Amino acid sequence: MPKLNKFRVRLETGTNGTEEPARVSFNNHLLPLEDLSGGTQPGETLEGGYDVNSMCHSMSLVGPENGKWSLKKIIVDFECENTPSYSVEFPAVELDESTEVDIWKDPPLATFDV
Amino acid sequence: MNIITKIKSIFVDKSEKISKDNSPSESINSELNRTSDFIEEVKPVQSEPDILEEDNPFSEPEPIVRRVIRVTAVSDNLFPPKDEKVLIKAQPSTAGDQCLFMVNRPLFSGYSWWFPNFESAEGSALAERLFSLEDVESVLVHESTLTITRKDKNLFDWKPFAAEIGANLRDLLEEGGSLILDKIINEMPSQDIIEEGIQKAINEEVNPGVAGHGGLITLQNIKGNTITIQMGGGCQGCSSADLTLKQGIHSSFRKFVPQIGAIFDETDHAAGLNPYF
Repeated sequence: MPKLNKFRVRLETGTNGTEEPARVSFNNHLLPLEDLSGGTQPGETLEGGYDVNSMCHSMSLVGPENGKWSLKKIIVDFECENTPSYSVEFPAVELDESTEVDIWKDPPLATFDV
Repeated sequence: MNIITKIKSIFVDKSEKISKDNSPSESINSELNRTSDFIEEVKPVQSEPDILEEDNPFSEPEPIVRRVIRVTAVSDNLFPPKDEKVLIKAQPSTAGDQCLFMVNRPLFSGYSWWFPNFESAEGSALAERLFSLEDVESVLVHESTLTITRKDKNLFDWKPFAAEIGANLRDLLEEGGSLILDKIINEMPSQDIIEEGIQKAINEEVNPGVAGHGGLITLQNIKGNTITIQMGGGCQGCSSADLTLKQGIHSSFRKFVPQIGAIFDETDHAAGLNPYF
């Protein structure tokens, strides 16, 4: 379980946008995204992040309370302690009041050419 | 009546009078009567209406139980497309006893195979070549990957040994020819037979074994002869889950269906009730 210093997400909205603020559930605690830019209307991309500085066991993007939010692409940049920063891309997903999508990925294992 | 009897009767009369005047029970009764008079005068207090949840500043809202969607991350291409050269990447496990080798071409398309020892490698060029190296304990071939377990569990630096494995693998692939014994491919049972056998192993041996710890194993997926399971209940997040998988479940599955290859655990152990305890 690595210590996550901070993360930044890029959320590309598909056909269904949302008026509600994007929220991330980190270890089952709801976090608002900070340092926001862009939007969550159809075709827009929202960028934001959070300085967590905590051990991470789960992280998910929470669906809106009302309506559906279709995401074309989710890209998460992770900065964990003692690990080079890494990016993970998740495919299209649709969220609503009953769903959230898992966006946590452990740091990749070191790989070398042989 | 003599004088003594007369005196006695006087004392008895007096004491009876005193007790009648100052009888404690009577005084209590009179006190109670007064109290009850007082209580009767007081109007009964109306019970206050229950405070509504939304008005109560200390009440916490009911947590919304949401379904967590798990999507597979889009992986970057490890290798440049259409490269003629044999490219191999090595990825040692965190425990250090195994190393995954990823190759830019198929080694055993659609299937996987486990070579537990040198004897099992007979007739399979790939395994024979790898077992000729001194420190190889077992070989697992899966699609375009190899997982090598080394005998020496104290050596954590895989780089020299991985380079040796990579060189041998590259030579073999460049030579061409069959990598896996034809008999293995020809005698591969159908997916239905594998599924039936694995489900039987789970029902008859695996689940009764883990039930004592509140565990539950479910078969998630079969692709060719590659098995994916999920560990639930007490197994989810248990620190011994890996040991249970490698020493208990693997041997049980292979006893029921000897032809199965790789066995993967797709459990989200971090989401268990007591992760990693």
